[in-house]
Amino acid sequence: MSRLIVIALRMLIWLLLSADPELLNVAIGLAVSLALPLPRRVRALSPGQFWRALGDSVTALPQAYSQAARLLLHRRLEESVVHDEPARVGGRASSVLVFLDVFRITLTPFTIALGLEGGGRRYRVHELVFEEKER
Amino acid sequence: MSGELLADAPGVLAALAQGASAVLLGLGLLFWFAGSWPLLGRASYLTKLHYLGISDTLGSALMLLGLLLRFQREWPLLVLALLSLVVWNTIFGYVLAACSQPRRRP
Repeated sequence: MSRLIVIALRMLIWLLLSADPELLNVAIGLAVSLALPLPRRVRALSPGQFWRALGDSVTALPQAYSQAARLLLHRRLEESVVHDEPARVGGRASSVLVFLDVFRITLTPFTIALGLEGGGRRYRVHELVFEEKER
Repeated sequence: MSGELLADAPGVLAALAQGASAVLLGLGLLFWFAGSWPLLGRASYLTKLHYLGISDTLGSALMLLGLLLRFQREWPLLVLALLSLVVWNTIFGYVLAACSQPRRRP
């Protein structure tokens, strides 16, 4: 699954760059995507996990805009805290999943991922908290 | 009256797209300035990164959406720019934040 995602990403970039849906062009893009080296060892990733993580990343976009608006309207009211957020797939998760999770956490203006620790079991997250907000 | 409106539908749509594009470009510019302004203050490094994410990622994405409405024939390149900009800026923010932390022993 991870390798398939890498190849699909390469095809997407090729098609957007060339903007030419002709058969020959698609064939060349596919050949190049397959010819470029792939990661030799990948960790297991099920389609369900991937689509859920991708969906969460996409739904984080509107959340990011609403958070941005709130942050800009409530300036000077925040304090910052560091906390741990458990990773959804404990242990040795696929790098695609880690990438999507880090993307989802960092995209929203209230939170930034600081790294993965505990052997991949949790993310360190830096978060802005409004003083008026109850936790 | 309605016939006239229907006949002029492409013109109306184009005008709407132009207006929406101007709104998006303006909003993006607003996000740019609002997010960059706190960089001049005395907030902590990570707090500034939170604000930078607003201007860099979200503001620029709004601007690219505005450009997308304005130059619809160039959509493949603009979509590519939008994708790479959002991913690159977000991950770069993460890299900057992660590198600012002292290394912790497990």
